[in-house]
Amino acid sequence: MKKNVLVLSLCTAMIAAAFTTPAHADEAALLQRIEKLAAELEAMKAELAANKQKTENVAKTQQQLSTTVAENTAAISTAAAKSDASASAVAMAQTGSVSGPQTVISSYGEINYTRPRQANNQAQTDVARAVIGLTHRFDEKTKMVAEFEWEHAVTSKDDQGESEVEQLYVEHEIREGLSAKAGLFLMPVGLLNSNHEPTAYYGVHRNFVETAIIPSTWREAGFGLTGTHDNGLTWDLGLTTGFDINKWDGTSTDGSQSPLGSIHQEGQLAKSRDLSMHAAVNWRGVPGLLVGASVFTGKAGHGTTDGVANDSRVTLWDMHARYNPGKLDLSALYTRGTMTGVTALNQTLVGQITPVPSSFYGWYVQSAYQVWKTDRYSLTPFVRYERFNTAQSYTDMPQGLGLTPAVDQKVSTFGANFRIGEGVVLKADYQKFQQDSSLDRYNLGVGYAF
Amino acid sequence: MKPLAPLSLTALMTISSSAFATQYLTVEQAQQSIFPDANHFAPLPLQLNVEQMKQVEKIAGLPARSVAWRTIAAYKDNALLGYMVLDDVIGKFELISYAVGLLPDATVKQVEILTYRESHGFEIRNANWRRQFVGKTANAGLMVGEGIANISGATLSCTHVTDGVRRIAAIAQVTLKK
Repeated sequence: MKKNVLVLSLCTAMIAAAFTTPAHADEAALLQRIEKLAAELEAMKAELAANKQKTENVAKTQQQLSTTVAENTAAISTAAAKSDASASAVAMAQTGSVSGPQTVISSYGEINYTRPRQANNQAQTDVARAVIGLTHRFDEKTKMVAEFEWEHAVTSKDDQGESEVEQLYVEHEIREGLSAKAGLFLMPVGLLNSNHEPTAYYGVHRNFVETAIIPSTWREAGFGLTGTHDNGLTWDLGLTTGFDINKWDGTSTDGSQSPLGSIHQEGQLAKSRDLSMHAAVNWRGVPGLLVGASVFTGKAGHGTTDGVANDSRVTLWDMHARYNPGKLDLSALYTRGTMTGVTALNQTLVGQITPVPSSFYGWYVQSAYQVWKTDRYSLTPFVRYERFNTAQSYTDMPQGLGLTPAVDQKVSTFGANFRIGEGVVLKADYQKFQQDSSLDRYNLGVGYAF
Repeated sequence: MKPLAPLSLTALMTISSSAFATQYLTVEQAQQSIFPDANHFAPLPLQLNVEQMKQVEKIAGLPARSVAWRTIAAYKDNALLGYMVLDDVIGKFELISYAVGLLPDATVKQVEILTYRESHGFEIRNANWRRQFVGKTANAGLMVGEGIANISGATLSCTHVTDGVRRIAAIAQVTLKK
């Protein structure tokens, strides 16, 4: 634009100059002059056009360069994102895909120290659990999940440890918001069962309600369907193995510690004549809020030859809520289980210490508040009150053989979690047992998860 | 200029989508959703120098992590409406692709999740959870527990996405703010 104005003014000046030259310039010379000026004008126009083209080419090249730079740095920043993130992306079977690692190794573990307040000769330190997890993604819709665990450090004929396969399943996304899984997987019950890493709960030991009543870590083998919706609703349905009432040992205290924990099968040569069904609903529509419920039911007799409890049925349901909007973290849970069709079985267990209960239940409320935080550390004290009964009621027994329900256990826990970074937690707490103060204990723990 | 934009945009899209992505939104859909009034988008090569990276780390409380950031500027005719920055973070095991829409004054306009494949924590895609980011700057309210609520069972995904948004908001404050 400016150049045109310049040329124009230049021409005007030239023409003006031409007119002011001495009178002896004749027409031919004038014409020649004009032609010369016209030629110069054309030359200037051509130069202008060439410059314009040049600028456009430079701009094009610049765009392409910036795209290449963006491409390269995108690849670099994705790689940086992978390494910057938690160390979960430790092993990669194949690299290269911008979408993330195909095979991921994860792990969690906890080591606990427990000292009863009134009996320091029972102080104990235990490598409670060491877990290695494996996730491998086959394609955009299919993956497998495995989790292997060692409890109490050493497993052998003479040791008290346990090694187990805690999860082993494949998951496939049928369509957006709907996926199916098959194998050994966690039951979607309560707050702790699916979220049981030491960094995920408060206190050194997992809460009693979700170990004695809901037998965390509770897993069954079978099929499951999970749906998620944009309004924050998630539902689960499944058909799996269940419990085996024939495992009930009336001479052991296992059944009074955890009724379902003593008869679970965990995918170990599990009797499957009687399968169980479960359904769960969880809603997270409001940020920070979780409200949900679940139910699990199935027969437990498995048609045992000469069995006296072939019609027995185990049912467990729960309701839970968690509110964690900011520094405050509130939880509440109520669960109840029933075992029907066990009267005949109990009659065979007369005189033994642990008959089969008809119902067991538990509830707790927990409040935690993050009082201090830097970008690397945080301190969250908490308090929890639990009430549970592993033998809330028994079936009616013939006169004289009446069974007395157990007393509700009430436990208060006060303590704090100290987080170091994203994956490490130090814990300390004190637990007060209202029914039996000889059980009062101090606990210390260290845990990690990635 | 105009015919060049789709070329670079296609390049950007090819990066974001991949054989393994369960794509809920493409880059184009994300930018349309964040800036529905825009009639023109142009990639903006955004690169931080060392001084800027230090400033970002100071504001966000996190390392700036990368020198270059995939940014797209949104225009209505010749007026700048804002920017969209694309990024990936890892949730617990899987990569999450997301986009942060920013106004020219570096406040967050909208957050969109482009791909999410974890087994838990789908709720970060819900409008309710993402709405918590709107109108905030890197200075306050962009941290889980301080302005952003956690999603039970998906703490790592929430934290990583929130940290990513805060980092991008800090970068916008240092480099893009008018």
